[in-house]
Amino acid sequence: MVTYSIEELHELLKNKKIDIHEYYEELMKEAEVQQERLNAFVTITKDEAMKNLDEFDENDLLSGIPYVLKDNYNTKGIKTTASSRMLEDYVPVYNAFAVDQLSKHGVHLVGKASMDELAMGGTNKSALTGPVYNPWDVRRIAGGSSGGSAALVASGLVPFATGSDTGDSIRKPAGYCGIVGFKPSWGRISRYGVIPYASSLDHMGMFTRNVRDAAIVLEAMAGRDDRDMTSSFKEVPHYIEHLTSDIKNVKIGVLRSVSDEIRNEEIKENFEMVVNIFKKLGATVEDVTMDKTLLRTILPSYTIIANSEATSNHSCLDGIRYGNRQEGETPDDVMINSRTNGFGAHIKRRFILGNLALATENQEKMFRKAQKVRRIIVEELNKIYDDYDIILTPNCGSVAPLVDEANDDRLSDEYLILENHLALGNFAGTPSLTLPSGFVDGMPIAVNVMGRLFEEQTVLNTAYALEEELGLKNQFKREG
Amino acid sequence: MNFEQVIGLEVHCELKTKSKMFSGAPVTFGEAPNTMVNEIDMGMTGTMPALNKRGVEYALRVCHALHMDIDELLCFDRKNYYYADLPKGFQITQDKRPIGRNGYLMIEVNGKEKKIEIERLHMEEDTAKQLHLSKYTLLDYNRAGIPLIEIVTKPCIRSGAEAAAYLEALRQIFLYTEVSDAKLEEGSMRCDVNVSIRPYGSETFGTRTEIKNLNSISNVQKALEYESLRQEKVLLSGGEVIQQTMRYDELNKETVPMRSKGDAVDYKYYTEPNILPVRISHEWVEEIKANLPMMARERVKKYVEEYDIPTVDAKILVSTKTESEYFNEVIKYTNNYKAASNWLIGDVQAYLNAEGHSYDDITLNPEYLAKLINFIDESVISSKQAKKVFEIMMKENKDPEVIVEEKGMKQISDEATLVALINEVLDNNPKSIQDYANGKDHAIKYLVGQVMKATKGQANPRKTNELLSSMLKERIN
Repeated sequence: MVTYSIEELHELLKNKKIDIHEYYEELMKEAEVQQERLNAFVTITKDEAMKNLDEFDENDLLSGIPYVLKDNYNTKGIKTTASSRMLEDYVPVYNAFAVDQLSKHGVHLVGKASMDELAMGGTNKSALTGPVYNPWDVRRIAGGSSGGSAALVASGLVPFATGSDTGDSIRKPAGYCGIVGFKPSWGRISRYGVIPYASSLDHMGMFTRNVRDAAIVLEAMAGRDDRDMTSSFKEVPHYIEHLTSDIKNVKIGVLRSVSDEIRNEEIKENFEMVVNIFKKLGATVEDVTMDKTLLRTILPSYTIIANSEATSNHSCLDGIRYGNRQEGETPDDVMINSRTNGFGAHIKRRFILGNLALATENQEKMFRKAQKVRRIIVEELNKIYDDYDIILTPNCGSVAPLVDEANDDRLSDEYLILENHLALGNFAGTPSLTLPSGFVDGMPIAVNVMGRLFEEQTVLNTAYALEEELGLKNQFKREG
Repeated sequence: MNFEQVIGLEVHCELKTKSKMFSGAPVTFGEAPNTMVNEIDMGMTGTMPALNKRGVEYALRVCHALHMDIDELLCFDRKNYYYADLPKGFQITQDKRPIGRNGYLMIEVNGKEKKIEIERLHMEEDTAKQLHLSKYTLLDYNRAGIPLIEIVTKPCIRSGAEAAAYLEALRQIFLYTEVSDAKLEEGSMRCDVNVSIRPYGSETFGTRTEIKNLNSISNVQKALEYESLRQEKVLLSGGEVIQQTMRYDELNKETVPMRSKGDAVDYKYYTEPNILPVRISHEWVEEIKANLPMMARERVKKYVEEYDIPTVDAKILVSTKTESEYFNEVIKYTNNYKAASNWLIGDVQAYLNAEGHSYDDITLNPEYLAKLINFIDESVISSKQAKKVFEIMMKENKDPEVIVEEKGMKQISDEATLVALINEVLDNNPKSIQDYANGKDHAIKYLVGQVMKATKGQANPRKTNELLSSMLKERIN
């Protein structure tokens, strides 16, 4: 089947060039094929996708558009597992805010996408349903934690999918899969109803195959939600209308402390090429740096904050009211047995770490200290934002790792800085977008642009300008 | 007792807001289990808290009534622990920055006043209700998420009687600020106590024990008295008090250990990441203060000093806010404060009791009661008649003026009318005048009777008596 962007599919549906029923019949068959190849779905929701196909609204760009939700977005009446045994058969009684927002536009849910268990991971190997494979090379990972969403958009099956991003869980897999991954400002999209990882770092966002589509989806998902007190009252701009590739007034800081760590020559070359394109486009482009010692603290402080918040966020998963309940003599036994059985070993390790860092005797020197470090890092970052609209970095230092080799346990600077700097956007809550910039050995590579808080438009414009220049849009890989 | 008791109280009070502290589900009591809940109260993963402004307002009312310093930056923390009745696995509370600090409440024990210092007041949410049966436990989440305030005193209470007086005074604050029905037996007000003992004069604290879940004020007092004596026995026999949590066994009237300090949980308090600090406006805080009604204690003072009502009676009048408010209404229409107080404490209360009602649901227009009082004072009707009028008035909420009219009860007190009537009677009874002149006092009674007969009993008896004796004397002379 043919792959379309949101805007292309909208035009075709509007002009009745394609029959929506036939399109969805074919799409659902293709979903099965891609599932065989990528293992990216937890649930394929054919009934849901085929519902209300005749209610196409030609005035709404998202009407009739198929999409995929990361499986931590709660869907009323549809199984939501967060790829954890604990929620293997869990059917929520309510929708996440973002799901309702999208539904208002008449989108069609094709399925719920695999993820690292409870979004805690960067490989998608911890999913209950197993690893998700990269469409560009199925021997490789799609990345995580939003691996299923990234793989399905990169396979060309759907034009967009939702994700969540606590450290880099949208942007890392987007880069590995050669598509656009966007995490807007903290507070731009309500987090209500999305199974959390770490509340102060969690961001909702989306995968698309081009920047224009990201602007469309962002506008639909964003907005104030009274059930999320941290969601912003700021009006949601009409991003697509204001989208421009004229970035002559944009000041870009190239964060050399990160790009200096690139060891792969081709990635290095690619990154410099991107820097030069921005110069050519008339933007102000200058080198900026951050203290490397500070950058090395991103991972440890992230680990402490994220796991501390996670352990308390997931305390509700006790088997008492819902979820994977394992019986016991007393209510305490039920909770202990359910949690012992329900979580993977790496999740338990992270919970133990989180509890250790929060324990009263350790809290000052672990959790509170990590929060202080986070504040210092954000202050340093804000100094760059005093002079620059955009901070440009490589997305990471390599192409998607092979499934057997992918792991998160390294301590080199290359790893500590180059593989973890994207969490800067989570620490500061700033909008951060990853888009493809080229290929190395047939695998996609990417760069990241990060803007000031609530300046999503500048980020989109900068990415749009680069995309126009590189021509790397609407990429997908259907066969192996 | 050879030791001084050192007592601190922690009181939880459920706020009767419309919706819960962090969710839109309704606050109810006595509804079918698990019907008054939404996904937030059930701790469904992915839900988030949204702060109830009314809950904050209610907390502020109590803060003001307790003369507290207000923290205008609202901060919330998570208290982490696992328990079957705790849906999220943590409770949202205020650990580091309670909304209120440094307050006090004046109490009176055996006629002596004492200032009870209050350390803090903070907001939090209630847990689910557990019902333990022999083979299983039932959980009702209707209660989960109901707003709570917790009020902690300094360890400045020195006896069970003081503790009881403090709880009574605090309960009155909850009722007067209208934040809660504050019923200990139903759990909308709960009390935990900390108690230790030390030799008189000692500055250091002894090891304390905590007694939890006391369901009446008298049980608080009994538990404290028992526990202090128990600690005394331990110390006098050379033993050591162990820091532990106890409960009060109502049946055997003794305190029993629940768990010891070694089992204490580390709550790992940390800032609730889903509620950013909320700055409340100073104007709003002040507005709530300005709209606060006068508290019971101040009302007693006013009633005694300004209205000359006996202290004992004044205290009865303020026992509920509705009774006190009713009194305030009645005395808008009469200056006989004492009579108003007597009616409310006496006949009105008795009538309400007999009907199974209280001042909360009294239907009588307060102006009518005032009218009745004025009628008696002005001798429009006799006290005896007033009792009859009162019965009808209470039953039908009817204007006493109308009742008196309809029943033909109005007294004749007009002097000219009475003089004319008396002259007529005297003219017709020369024998009685003669008897009176001969010192037969009963003659006057007969003559009054004749006046009454002529007026069908409506002549004012006091006035008639007065006039008759002076007119008789005149005729004899």
